[in-house]
Amino acid sequence: MTRSAWWRRFSVRGVVWRQLLRFAILNVPPWTEPVIMAFWAAFFLLWGPGRRGVMRNLKVIKPGSLAITNFFRCYRVFWNYAWTIADNVRFKELRTIPDWEFTGWDHFQEMQARGGAILLTAHMGSYDLGAHLFSETSTRRIVMVRAPETDPQTREFEEHHGAEGLRIEFNTRATELALDLLENVREGAIVAIQGDRVTGSISSLPATLFGRVTTVPAGPFALAMTARVPIFPVFVVRMGRRRYRLITSRPIEITRSRNRDEDFARAVAQWMVELEHVVRGRWYQWFTFEPYWQEPAA
Amino acid sequence: MNVIVDRPEARLLPSRHRFALTRLIAYLRLLRARPSANRPEHLILPIDRDQTSAEMNGIAIWVLVTTTCYFAAALPLALPVAVVLAIPLAAIAIHLPIVVGGPIIRLIIGDGDHVKIVSVITMALLLIASSYFAVSPAWARFAAWLFFAVLILNSAAAVIVWLLRNSIRAAEERCAN
Repeated sequence: MTRSAWWRRFSVRGVVWRQLLRFAILNVPPWTEPVIMAFWAAFFLLWGPGRRGVMRNLKVIKPGSLAITNFFRCYRVFWNYAWTIADNVRFKELRTIPDWEFTGWDHFQEMQARGGAILLTAHMGSYDLGAHLFSETSTRRIVMVRAPETDPQTREFEEHHGAEGLRIEFNTRATELALDLLENVREGAIVAIQGDRVTGSISSLPATLFGRVTTVPAGPFALAMTARVPIFPVFVVRMGRRRYRLITSRPIEITRSRNRDEDFARAVAQWMVELEHVVRGRWYQWFTFEPYWQEPAA
Repeated sequence: MNVIVDRPEARLLPSRHRFALTRLIAYLRLLRARPSANRPEHLILPIDRDQTSAEMNGIAIWVLVTTTCYFAAALPLALPVAVVLAIPLAAIAIHLPIVVGGPIIRLIIGDGDHVKIVSVITMALLLIASSYFAVSPAWARFAAWLFFAVLILNSAAAVIVWLLRNSIRAAEERCAN
């Protein structure tokens, strides 16, 4: 192993933290866990780019907010993130499930009943835990699409410690994946995609969130239009220690007309309304550690 | 893992609590529980002894405060400064049984779930520290006495819970069905 590769293990996305988290889940008594979480959430405030990214996003979500207030809010984001990833690893390692509450149960059942659907969600709460809940409770097959880990060792670690019964696809090989997902949706599977941020070179659609221009992945919308299935906005929100709420909103139906751009714009606008509503109320669970919006030109 | 569906009052099941004292309190609350008007649309509650937040958060705060008191008393500084320094020191000290004990246990019995063993080690270390401070003239003896008082209370609750085990099981089954 080269020297740079050795050091990369300790970078914020490096494999060491994943290994330590797994070690903690297998060794930390639950009655000291809140202290350990508080300590490590504070430790990760030293991660400058992540902290600054969250604080910049908070400035847009909460206009006029003070930097010092957003610093403490940032701690709350890190605290929630720590619990979320811990709950996810606990499920994978010990099959411990949290309490689940459902809001929009009718929509959720509708999604299960329909032959094929897109589950559109955000980097909130525990996407992984939510997907595992689906795979355990749903009769439908669930295919989860996500961005791969940037660090190769971390990627390898995650693949090795993944939960059974859940198929995960990575959004790197766009064309083949699109065809594969289309086939799955047509066969009645639910495809879960995070639709709040564009990573890498995937195609995007223009959108407006909190009054600021941004982009969202085009994939879920194009897939829904091609497969003629609805998009169900679903958010997994952490309510407290080992307690989550699964919010399912009314489906977004993409109707085809002669103007494809307008059809997409309508669907994206509906998605943005749902996303903005949830992020406004649960800003402390929007795990977006990079600046989401471009800085306005001076 | 067993789960109970659409019964909000199942949050109070003694089986969802770890320590005897909290199990007893949960049982007493369960006896008085009425179906909640504010029900979620659908609810899944797993039966897991570590599931109750109030219990785990409460104990975590108590352990942190007790350990902080011991460090503050041991530091040769003015009390306010000692307390401020003692908080991070206590948080680090709580890691010790995990970071020292965890790898050793792993070496001895292999990879896997070692939470129970680390719990026993942590509690034993707290017990030793509390025994030391309980007989010392330092002000932290009050924290140590409180620690022993809670232990005695929990032991008494364990006896009561054991005597009530059939009634508790019956109440849990009534709630689950």
